[in-house]
This record gives sequence, structure tokens and C-alpha cells, in this order.
Amino acid sequence: MAAAAAPTRAEVMSLFRSLLRTARQFSDYNIREYTRRRAADAFRENRALGDVPAAAAAFAYGKKQLEVAKRQAVVYSMYAPKAKSIMEMKLQ
Amino acid sequence: MALSRRLLPALLCRGGCLSASPSPARALYTAAAVPADAEEEEEEAVTIKGVRISGRPLYMDMQATTPVDPRVLDAMLPFYLSRYGNPHSRTHLYGWESDAAVEEARARVAALVGADSREIFFTSGATECNNIAVKGVMRFYRDRRRHVITTQTEHKCVLDSCRYLQQEGFEVTYLPVRPDGLVDVAQLADAIRPDTGLVSVMAVNNEIGVVQPLEEIGRICREKGVPFHTDAAQALGKIPIDVNQMGIGLMSLSAHKIYGPKGVGALYLRRRPRIRVEPQMSGGGQERGIRSGTVPTPLVVGFGAACEIAAKEMDYDYRRATTLQQRLLDGIRGQVDDIVINGSMEHRYPGNLNLSFAYVEGESLLMGLKEVAVSSGSACTSASLEPSYVLRALGVEEDMAHTSIRFGIGRFTTEEEVDRAIELTVHQVKKLRDMSPLYEMAKAGIDLKSIQWAQH
Repeated sequence: MAAAAAPTRAEVMSLFRSLLRTARQFSDYNIREYTRRRAADAFRENRALGDVPAAAAAFAYGKKQLEVAKRQAVVYSMYAPKAKSIMEMKLQ
Repeated sequence: MALSRRLLPALLCRGGCLSASPSPARALYTAAAVPADAEEEEEEAVTIKGVRISGRPLYMDMQATTPVDPRVLDAMLPFYLSRYGNPHSRTHLYGWESDAAVEEARARVAALVGADSREIFFTSGATECNNIAVKGVMRFYRDRRRHVITTQTEHKCVLDSCRYLQQEGFEVTYLPVRPDGLVDVAQLADAIRPDTGLVSVMAVNNEIGVVQPLEEIGRICREKGVPFHTDAAQALGKIPIDVNQMGIGLMSLSAHKIYGPKGVGALYLRRRPRIRVEPQMSGGGQERGIRSGTVPTPLVVGFGAACEIAAKEMDYDYRRATTLQQRLLDGIRGQVDDIVINGSMEHRYPGNLNLSFAYVEGESLLMGLKEVAVSSGSACTSASLEPSYVLRALGVEEDMAHTSIRFGIGRFTTEEEVDRAIELTVHQVKKLRDMSPLYEMAKAGIDLKSIQWAQH
């Protein structure tokens, strides 16, 4: 496999924003929060990756996760239950 | 891709809008059974079994089961849609691709526990694995081995299998546990006899979350030449497991405890030295004759995906569970006193917290906690009112065993959910204690045990 180039800062930020946007589209409270949090933590952790192959691999992994998230956001919304989680309802 | 972008707003509206009439998308699901009495159309409240809750409760019962991770679902769906072949069909693409997927999943399960692919056999779940392990091993070696050692806190399926063996004439030693839930390793070593055929000790207990000293037990079993079986359903993907380091001979694994689908599990069976079992399912000889029956490709692929994710996320999830457990404990302890943690705090998987609240009646506490999905200490024996045998084995008094609540924290649990769980629990406990005359007396300094209750 040819060695991939390290992603540019713009590409990384674009991927991060896409992941956060896709996270918002999940109808399930827990999955939505997890996607947002895990993406933020992963990008924060990998920020220090100076090693080019490692950075490229992390970026590729991130892109794959984005594709999975996009598909699953659609699937989850198709089967969203009528009643929302009590975490999403106003405090009574 | 473009299609989904066009469909997405319409589909999202269905889930997000408050509509009085049934939405058009739902009308398409003629095959999907919608229970008539489970939901009300006017509000978003849920009424079921006579209880009305404003929304779906927050889920804190991770030991009962876990939600399927979206990445796992993504891996499984193709095998329900187009790649639906039987993995044992040798003559066409459908069979070949299905078989390839099963083998890839097998490798992922094996990698998570440090085993070889050839040592993993897919079953319908940990209960089936426990049955094969306990009954299968003892029946295979029935001429020379007549004795089984297990603990009093094992899962019901292990204890029931042992009881079944007793009826067949085998002898079983049920080792007691210390008050912190851990088994006494010296006592275990003493209990081993020349005709002991199996030692079965679960890795992480489902009720109290205690982690048993697997390496020590494995070492002793290896020295004495006795196969070591562990039910690792709650441990897989949560704590590191290495079958060689821990001297494990047989291991039961379950998918639906690690964010995988329900209905599938795997049995680890050591090759060197080879451990033989008598199969419990007769049939076409699938899974090397150990477990006949068509291997359910979508479920197995889901299990493999769950294991792969668990391997990557174990550290992150563990650290998060530790933080959240501490938050939960501090939050509850900071507002109510007279709480007992059941099981050792040092040797514990942080996602499982079992608390007993003194002077509170268990059933009323649970009935008031309908917005939090938790389980009580007597989950496995839920049909009867008898307190949990696990808590009884720890030496917990009956009244404290009845008021125990098990909080499960998982990958998808949020800080806000923990805070809300604290709020709801504290509110309910305080309310019940305010009404409790026993609590008043205890606060006044009266020792409840010294009271002579008058008989009428």
C-alpha cells in the first residue's frame, strides 16, 4: 500500500466538523452524545501525532468512522421511538 | 449518498416533530408489530404495565444487556440484506462470502482474548457455553474425573449445570466467598482432589462487579493439572484477558454484554494441552463437531465487530467508567448516609456498582425509580421475592439484600445521566426514609437488633 501523505490542518478540521454535524443528526440521545464526545476526545488525543504514517492512518480511520456514522444516523432516525429519552425532556 | 441526503430531512422530521397523527413513515411498516397498549399518541409519554413515564428511562442496567453499538449494526446489516448465505454452503458465492465473514469474526474474537482462531467456537450465548463447559467436560472425562469445584456466586446456569451433574452422580464443591466477594485461593487449592475434573470461577460477577484473581487460580489449576473454566461474559472487552497468562482452559463469552447483538456467544477451548468436551448439540458437526447448527452469520459478524471495537476502546471506556462510577458514588454518598457497597472496591470492574440503602424497603425504592432503568439485587431470581443468592453468599443481611440496587455504567453513559440518577435515587431514598419509623429509631441511637418485638 502506498504511503499516504499526512492530512492538512484544513482537512482535519473539516473531518472533525463533519463528524460533529453527523453526531447532531442521531435521533438517539446516547449515541448522539457518544459520537460527539468520542470524536472530540479522539481528535484531541491525536493532535500530538507528529509521525506521518500514524497521522495518515488516524485520518483514514476517522474518515471511515464518518461514513459509518452517516449511514447509521439515517438508520436510527428511521426507527426512532416516538417517546424521547427523559434526558431530552424538560425537567418537570 | 445523494439519495440519503434527500431522504434524511424527511426521515428526521418523523423522529423529531411532535405530531398528533401517526406519521406516514410508520404506516409502511406492516410487518413490524407495534404493541397497541405500549404507547399513547397524544403525548410523548409511555404507559406500560400500568406505569406512566414521561419518556424513555435513562438506561443504567448494563449488566443485564447493552445497547448495540452503531458500528456493530453497520457491520451486521449487509448480512441481513444481500449477503444472506449459509456459511456452510460450499458451492456458491453466498456460502463462500458468508464463511469468510465468519472466519474474520472468529479471528477478532480470538485476538481480544489472546487465543488462536481454532480455539473459538460460536454458540448461542454464554449460557450455552457454560452448559457445554461444565457438562461437556465432566461427561467426556466421566471415567476418571468425578468432582467439580465452583463458587457460590456463579451465574445460575453454572450452578444449575452443576446441580444437574450431581443428579448424575458427580460431586460438586461450592466454595464460599469472603464478605468482599472474592474467593479464597488457598481454600480453592485445598479443595482440589485427584479426581477433580473442572474448576469454574467467573471472571467478573454480574451482580456485584467483583473481579476474581484469575491469574492465581489459573496458576494453581495448571500446577495441579485441572482444567480452569471461567465465565467471562461480563469481563470480555472490559478488562484485559489473556488465556495464556491466566492459564484458562475454557471460557464463556457473550456478545450482548459488549455492545453486540443478542443470541450469540463463543466458547474458548484450549488446544495445548487439548481440552475435550462432549457436544451438547447433536447435528451436522458444524464448529468442528463441538456445536452443531448453522452458524448465524449476521450475529457472528456483529460479535466480531464488537470485539474489534472493544479492543480499541477498552482503555478509554475503562477510564470513563471509573470516573463516572466515582461521580455516582460521591454524589449519592454526599447526600445520604447509611449506604453499603456490596463487594470489594479494589477488585472491581468500575461499570458495576451495587449499593444497599439501609432502612429503605427495596420494592418501594425500585417502584419510585421508574425513570432510571436499574436492577435490584434479586434480578436473577426476580420471580420470587427471595433475596439474591450472591448477596447472601457475601453475608449480607436479608433486609440489606432486599434494598440493593445495581447501577450499570457503560460506553454510552453520560455525566448528565449519572447526575440525574443521583438526583432521582437520593430523592426517593430520602422520601422513603422520612416515612420510615425504623430510620427515626436508628437516628435516635436505638440499636434495632436489640429490640424485642412484641407478639400479639
